Amino acid sequence: MLNSFKDKIGDVLLPGDVFSVQMPESITDSKPEKIVCGPGLRRNGDEVLVCKSGVLRHKPPNLYWIDSQQRRYIPVKGESVIGIVTAKSGDIFKVDIGASEQASLSYLAFEGATKRNRPNVQVGDLVYSQLIIANKDMEPELACIDSCGRANGMGVFGAGGLLFKVSLGLVRRLLAPQSEITVDLGKLFPFEMVVGLNGRVWVKARTAQQTLIVANMLESCENMTAQQRQVLFRRVADGSI
Amino acid sequence: MSPMKLCVPGDRLCSKEDCMPGTGVYLRHGYIYSSLAGYILRKNEGEELPVISVVRDTEAQLLPDVGAIVTCKVTSINSRFAKVHILYVGSTPLKDRFRGTIRKEDVRATEKDRVETYKSFRPGDIVLAKVISLGDVQSNYLLTTAENELGVVVAHSEAGAQMVPISWCEMQCPRTHAKEFRKVARVQPEYLHT
Repeated sequence: MLNSFKDKIGDVLLPGDVFSVQMPESITDSKPEKIVCGPGLRRNGDEVLVCKSGVLRHKPPNLYWIDSQQRRYIPVKGESVIGIVTAKSGDIFKVDIGASEQASLSYLAFEGATKRNRPNVQVGDLVYSQLIIANKDMEPELACIDSCGRANGMGVFGAGGLLFKVSLGLVRRLLAPQSEITVDLGKLFPFEMVVGLNGRVWVKARTAQQTLIVANMLESCENMTAQQRQVLFRRVADGSI
Repeated sequence: MSPMKLCVPGDRLCSKEDCMPGTGVYLRHGYIYSSLAGYILRKNEGEELPVISVVRDTEAQLLPDVGAIVTCKVTSINSRFAKVHILYVGSTPLKDRFRGTIRKEDVRATEKDRVETYKSFRPGDIVLAKVISLGDVQSNYLLTTAENELGVVVAHSEAGAQMVPISWCEMQCPRTHAKEFRKVARVQPEYLHT
């Protein structure tokens, strides 16, 4: 089934759909187009194959990708994730980031850590860190330090507060530069939030009840349109303590 | 020719004065004992005593020795080393697969500490390497690719096509034109088949 690619922008596509990138022969004076395939699309000679199910999106001039809702995290180098320390063995910590394998975090990868001055990390702690090695052949590796040696907000956190799991699409929406969800939520009551790109979010408000309200609202934002969300937030603001 | 006799490890074969020890046997207290389970072979060498040896099959297996060039396939990689299965010693195929290890510092001759295993080998690559040590009981053969003629010979890209080498550290997929990093071997022109 070879159709023109551009007609399908905004449509739901399934894995196995094939598109031809050749221009039809009637238009011979225009130059052949370059198509940049983003996540979910794969190039195979003259054809473009769809690998994930989702909605086809386009960003001019020539970037195409598939927007898919998935909850399983695939580690990618450079992403900041929230991990849970599961074991301490020798020089490394084993951290669970929600991927197929546990990641390793060296104890020297913290700000101000030396061989004598070990960081204070216990099993069960929450760690916000960056992936430095992440590919399908090797075990992922984390670091709580950037290339200059500064912590930059990374490290152990989370005394109090609640950690919960959302889909990856919602996490990317929360981390977008002008995220309406965070702005609207901030108007209700003050709270602290840490968002990891592996689908984990940690929130902490002044009381336990407010923390639970914020967590429930964030989880429900996933399947709501903007109007439904405004309605829900207004209802909570009116009825909140 | 009489049919070949079978023996097990520990069998006393003959005395030191009757034969010279060959492979698969050892000398103890003036007698020759077998150290393998297999067939006894007696070969006449001329005016000297015949050589007695024990072999598992009719042909003796060629074992990788220190300094031999071996062809191996990468099975798994780690940030510190790569594990391989040794398939060929020189140009003879092996019946069993021996295990080998290529440490991170043995991948290249220059800039040994800045090597990334993921940019040198991937699981599934065919690699030419040289044996530097036989290892002890627990460990595998230690191999090195720290020469121009050693390294990755055949590699497949993420799209599944066989890649073409462009330089000593890059290979390109002919289907998607994507470049991938490998430690590429510079094969001598006389060994290349068109």
